[in-house]
Formats: sequence, structure tokens, C-alpha cells
Amino acid sequence: MSAPDLGPPSCHCVTCADEGVPMRVLGFAGGAGLADCAAEDGETTAVDTTLVEPVTAGEQVLVHAGVALVKLDEAGEGPPAQATWPAPAPRSAP
Amino acid sequence: MAGSGTPERTVRFVDEFRDAELGRVLAGELLAAADPGRHYKLMEVCGGHTHAIYKYGIDDLLPDNVELVHGPGCPVCVIPMGRVDDGIAIAHEPDVILTCFGDMLRVPGSHGTLLDAKAQGADVRMVYSPLDALRIAREQPERQVVFFAIGFETTAPSTALTLKRARAEGIENFSVVCNHVTIVPPLRALLESPDLRLDGFIGPGHVSTVVGARPFQFIPQQYGKPVVISGFEPLDVLQSALMLLRQLGDGRCEVENQYARVVPYDGNAAALRVMGEVFALRPHFEWRGLGFISQSGLRLSDTYADFDAERRFATPGVRVADPKACQCGEVLKGVIKPWECKVFGTACTPERPIGTCMVSSEGACAAYYNFGRFARRHERAAV
Repeated sequence: MSAPDLGPPSCHCVTCADEGVPMRVLGFAGGAGLADCAAEDGETTAVDTTLVEPVTAGEQVLVHAGVALVKLDEAGEGPPAQATWPAPAPRSAP
Repeated sequence: MAGSGTPERTVRFVDEFRDAELGRVLAGELLAAADPGRHYKLMEVCGGHTHAIYKYGIDDLLPDNVELVHGPGCPVCVIPMGRVDDGIAIAHEPDVILTCFGDMLRVPGSHGTLLDAKAQGADVRMVYSPLDALRIAREQPERQVVFFAIGFETTAPSTALTLKRARAEGIENFSVVCNHVTIVPPLRALLESPDLRLDGFIGPGHVSTVVGARPFQFIPQQYGKPVVISGFEPLDVLQSALMLLRQLGDGRCEVENQYARVVPYDGNAAALRVMGEVFALRPHFEWRGLGFISQSGLRLSDTYADFDAERRFATPGVRVADPKACQCGEVLKGVIKPWECKVFGTACTPERPIGTCMVSSEGACAAYYNFGRFARRHERAAV
């Protein structure tokens, strides 16, 4: 028996293999070590925050397979400081 | 999951790294940094990078003499057929609910996929987290819920935390088929491979959030190759390639961290601790296309042996050779490009994969099939 046709695979990494989703902590209603977190699109889910405790509402965490792996530091955030980026391209560059 | 609860502030760290103007700046810098008399082969280790490279057309922004080689860092792609057969055998056991990540459903074993097993009546369910599998076990205590665990060090902590929860809550109808693997042994195997010449590595970003940068120091120290740990947005990958070219141009050879906004040098100590408690190294583990690699796979530790599905259920445990037509091994080692495989895009497609590299969206073949075919046409025209 062959597999049903699922159509083209999603651009989204279904495997969760090495995907990290930045999410914001909303609150802690889910029980010990669990936080309600929201992704950029507003979707909320319960996330295990055991590995990044202490964590507070409003902080951002990187979530993989339901677990927060690291807190994202917004103080030193965003693209690396301009000084670490390359100088403007020469005009002859493509 | 629900769509409610839109955060007051938007999530950052994504759009900033897709800026087209900065991308053009980086492309110019890459051109300036590449020695025109030299051909560079850089391996992106992680399947997430492979996906990003084809999705955003990053290879089109690189100088012609900078070649990207796709590494073995897609957990689905390295699962051998025999392990899939073991999962299918467990799925057919009475009262079992077998859970796994979505792409795992479509990985071919010797007699079909987990999806085929589902079609034949087995209760196979897709989950996004092992915590979802544990929830099913909690809700259906009369059933045996098995999680077919795959993934590198990024995913292993999630399985470990789930098992700790299962123990703490006294959930006895939950168990795990552990196929977790570690990233360093296959990299060492690749570096020892005589048919592969690489100039540097774009290192795995999210694995490094757990293990840190330290485990990759052996690459410059013992093999003289630079490593840049990279994020997954287009500008991340471009900047990492530039950092590698600059190291090579300067005659430097070290581990650099482009993804410093996320990856701490020492990784996540709590994650490493929980992994050490729940897992133990297997003496050997089979990787599709790469063969058996010593101390590259994880099993459940003796403390958690009672949650080991391989002890709870009888499995065939038979090694199965890959299909002869499939060249996933050569693709995973970067020896051939996906389109150079004899069955790429004909007998083997994302809808009907023969090899695992065509299954996951992170697999080099699937990424190339979905996003890279126009670039290939361009390459052909240039030859």
C-alpha cells in the first residue's frame, strides 16, 4: 500500500528538527514550568520554560518542540551592532 | 492552540534579518572577500540552513566560486529504514498510539511508512511536541502511548523534560523510541571522509543553543577548518559565509558565533544537565548513508529504562539496506548535488519519496526540488 498523496510539503518545518520560534511569554496559567506564549502571528501555546527559568511575562524566548531553549535578550537585540556589519558595498558590486 | 492573545508588542529577530538592502550589501562584501583564483566549498551542517538557502535563493547571491554543500543535519534524513520498521512494528501492537513529528510519518521503511501503517489501521498520530504525546497518555490511560523521538541536541531536551514530567506524574502508559542523535560524531566522520574536501562549516544555530560553541572547537584545532555558528534568516547565512571567507582570507581558523543574539558560548547548562540525567550514549548508531557511527546516538539511561519502548515492546531490530537507486548517502556527505541523484525529481519526489532527503522540507533534495529548480536551470545555462 502506498502513502496517500499529501501534496507538496509545507514551507514550515513540520519535523521541528531544528526550528526555533521566537515567542513572547504572556502568563503562567498552565501549571509548574509551563507558560502561555504567543508567536509573531498571535497564536498562543503552552511552552515548557524549565530550561530558561526564571522567566517573566513579557520576555521573549526561543521555542523548539514545545520547550523554551533560550531567552532572547532584547536589550542587546536585533541585528548585530552596525559596527559588526560590513561596510557599504562598492558601487560596482552586483 | 488558539489564535487569541495577540501580544502587545511584535516579536522581533525575524524581519530585521530579511532586509533586502543589507542583503545586497553583504553580497557585495562576499564578492570582495572571495579570492577569484580559489574555489570555496562551505558545508551548511543544518537542514534548517539548507531550507533557508533554497527558500530565499541565498546561493544566487554568492560569488560563482563559493559552493554550498549540504550536510547531514536533518534528523529525518538520517533515520535508517530499520528504525522506521521498528516504529511501524510498535504501531501495530494492540492498544498502542504511536506519536511522532509530521515528517517522520512519510519516511519509508522496508515495507512502507508510518502513514501506511495508519492507513492499515494502526493508531499513528502527528504531534508538534513530545509534551503533546504525554497529554494523550494522560487523557487515555487505557492505551499505551509511544513517542517516536528523533532529532539532534535541539530536540533531545524536549524529550528529556517530557520523560521527567511522566515520571513526576506517575504516567506509566507512556514510552519513547529514542532515535536522538548528536551532531559532533557525524561531523568528525565527514572530516575523516576521503572523498570530501571542505573549506569551512556554517555551524548549526539551534543545536548550539543547547551545546554551545565549545564542542566545535575540534574542527579548527584538529582539522584546520573554520566554523561559523549561524542563524537561519537570509542575512544570517550570508553574513556567516562572509565570516568564513574572511577567516580563510586572513589565514585564521576558529569557531565564530554569528548567531550571538541567540547562542551563548556555553550553551544551556540546564538542558545539558537534564539530557545527562535522562539519556546515555549508545555505543553505535546507524545513520542513513553514513553507516554506523560510534557514540553518535542516545538511548534512555538506566534510570529511565522503564520508559524505553524498545524494552516494552518487541521490535524487529533488523538493519535494512537503503534502496539501490537512492543516493541519499552521497547527498548527505555532499559528494553529489541533489539533482545528480539518478531518481531525483522522477521516481523520487516530495509526494512519493524514495530517499529520506526528499521527505522532510529540511532535506536537501526536497528543498532543492521545491525552491532550487530555477537556479539549476540557470546553472545549466551557464555551463
